[in-house]
Amino acid sequence: MWRWLAEAMAVAAKDLRTEFRTRVAINSLGLFALTVLAAVSYTVGPYRIAAEDRPFLLAVLLWIVIFFAALAGLDRSFVKEEESHTAPLLRLAASPSAVWFGKLVFNLLVIYMLMAILVPLYCILMGYTIVMVWEFVLILALGGYALAVITTIVAAIIARALTRGALFSVLSLPLLLPLMIFLIQGTAGVAEGMPEVVSSTVRAVLSMGGIMTIVSAALFPVVWSD
Amino acid sequence: MADGIRVSFSDVAKRYDLRVVFRSVSGEAVPGKVLVITGPNGSGKSTLLSILCGLLRPTRGEITYHEDGHVVERDAWRRHLGVVAPAMAVYEELDAMENLCFFARVRGMGPAEDRCRECLELVGLDPDRRTPVRGYSTGMAQRLKIAQALLHDPALLFLDEPGSNLDPAGKDWLENYVGGLEEAGKTVVLATNDRREMEWGVRHVALAG
Amino acid sequence: MEWIVPKLISEILKWVLLVWLAVVIVAAFLYVQPAKSFIGESSRIVFFHVPMAWVAVLAFLVSCVTSVMYLRRRNPKDDIRASVSAGLGLLFAVLATTTGAVFAKIMWGAYWNWDPRQTSITILLLIYAAYLALRGAIDDPERRASLAAVYAILAFVTVPFLVFVVPRIYWSLHPDTIINTRGANEFDSRYTQVLMASLVGFTGLYVWLYTIGCRIETIRQRRRQEVL
Repeated sequence: MWRWLAEAMAVAAKDLRTEFRTRVAINSLGLFALTVLAAVSYTVGPYRIAAEDRPFLLAVLLWIVIFFAALAGLDRSFVKEEESHTAPLLRLAASPSAVWFGKLVFNLLVIYMLMAILVPLYCILMGYTIVMVWEFVLILALGGYALAVITTIVAAIIARALTRGALFSVLSLPLLLPLMIFLIQGTAGVAEGMPEVVSSTVRAVLSMGGIMTIVSAALFPVVWSD
Repeated sequence: MADGIRVSFSDVAKRYDLRVVFRSVSGEAVPGKVLVITGPNGSGKSTLLSILCGLLRPTRGEITYHEDGHVVERDAWRRHLGVVAPAMAVYEELDAMENLCFFARVRGMGPAEDRCRECLELVGLDPDRRTPVRGYSTGMAQRLKIAQALLHDPALLFLDEPGSNLDPAGKDWLENYVGGLEEAGKTVVLATNDRREMEWGVRHVALAG
Repeated sequence: MEWIVPKLISEILKWVLLVWLAVVIVAAFLYVQPAKSFIGESSRIVFFHVPMAWVAVLAFLVSCVTSVMYLRRRNPKDDIRASVSAGLGLLFAVLATTTGAVFAKIMWGAYWNWDPRQTSITILLLIYAAYLALRGAIDDPERRASLAAVYAILAFVTVPFLVFVVPRIYWSLHPDTIINTRGANEFDSRYTQVLMASLVGFTGLYVWLYTIGCRIETIRQRRRQEVL
């Protein structure tokens, strides 16, 4: 079991190393997020939305930016392996579950890095006050995980298709919409300080993340091997 | 020491939707011998190799790996084999040492730095081990692919035009090395159009094309 | 002579289906009085909208089950079943959405308000569209079949969250009477009779279209690929 973990971490470390040297995914995600943030901040800003609407609408905008930034870059780890023709040797060297978990960890780290920079910036620029801060962090962490799990398996699927283009977004969105709805509600809840909403969100996101983890771990070998 | 791995395949066919690559190919690769697969361009040598090493599923046919008298499960094939092929690349952004250490780790060998250096020395890449692969010549990249295939000392080797991009000294080295593999009881499957490489093996499978 | 009997039965069933649906349509307009809590004649749309939504979900279920079967047995027929069902599911989902939007306009003044049921059917539509887009993007039949099957299963797993969790959180415009037994008091027995009959009829329609679709697709595949 520890050997498997070491193998998965080797995959994650390799992806991180190559990503830092080329910075493609980071650029796509980062640039997208910052551009949209700048646009939203400029057009909407901290003053345009009425006080009673702020918790909800600002939650909506935040998660839209995060999700679409994710869709801009998270397919990279699988698509690149196929495009550079490094996938066959990886298939022969690594066990499928190690590849799945390693790439999941990589995507997760990318999302968390994105959130670490984007969320504080967003709150400052948009004047988003959060009442339940630790719960907010929890929602971000759980939501980020669920997002990573879903995008990882979808990325693995589209990497094996011919015309990738918009396919990643098209396939991910129906699976991500329920998650997004929960997260928006939960974030509105932490902004206003409504514990019941927060706890139901946490439960929903946790179960969604859990189920998608099990299902994608089971189905990944089918997608990865021919 | 283990008996080595025997690969037998019968009535293997591959079709991609409308295009039939080959209809019925059979043969056997045994330890201590080189099985040579030949055929004109486009006859499916690389496809057959991919099928035999488990990367592709055949449309029809059986492939069986035998080791010490029992059958090896398909999921376990990859542990026993190494592959060198034009269509399979190593990581350009990493250097040779990082590439090999990655493959070692991911095969469950740990970082295995000594073993990696050993393989690099074997193919003559040790001086360049810290240069990113992106900066390699095609010949150096080919040597790295060979090193990668030998890393875990597999009993079975699939070589798809392994001499391509190698200089004459490199080709000589490779011929010697494959001879050594035969003596060591390894099983080698070689797909090639090169006249000289074709001589390395006694058993042949010819694809019609 | 054995094959004649099943053929005869399916011929008979086809005509039964035709008559059944014709009766349902006529009954929807002439046999039943409009329900009291609905505006004007708009309650009649329920006889069509609900069965269509039901078939859209049924088709999805069939797609997913056959996808699981394909991954287990690797029988190309299961892949055909999954894709045919998905195509039909898309059709009925579009119909359900349109009839639902018309109904919403009459009852609440707006074509679309994103209440949970409308959201759910939209997501189902997106899932179908995504599934078919994925199929269109892969050439190799075996890979197309297995990747599509994986996606169908993934999509299926997210559905419980939509159907059960989202409505609980949201206040809903949708008449709970559709699924809730509480509403049975609102409608007279004629209403429920026609509604049930329509459900059966539409399910029959789906089964018929599904059978034809599978047959066509099987023949098409056989013609495309020369025997190996």
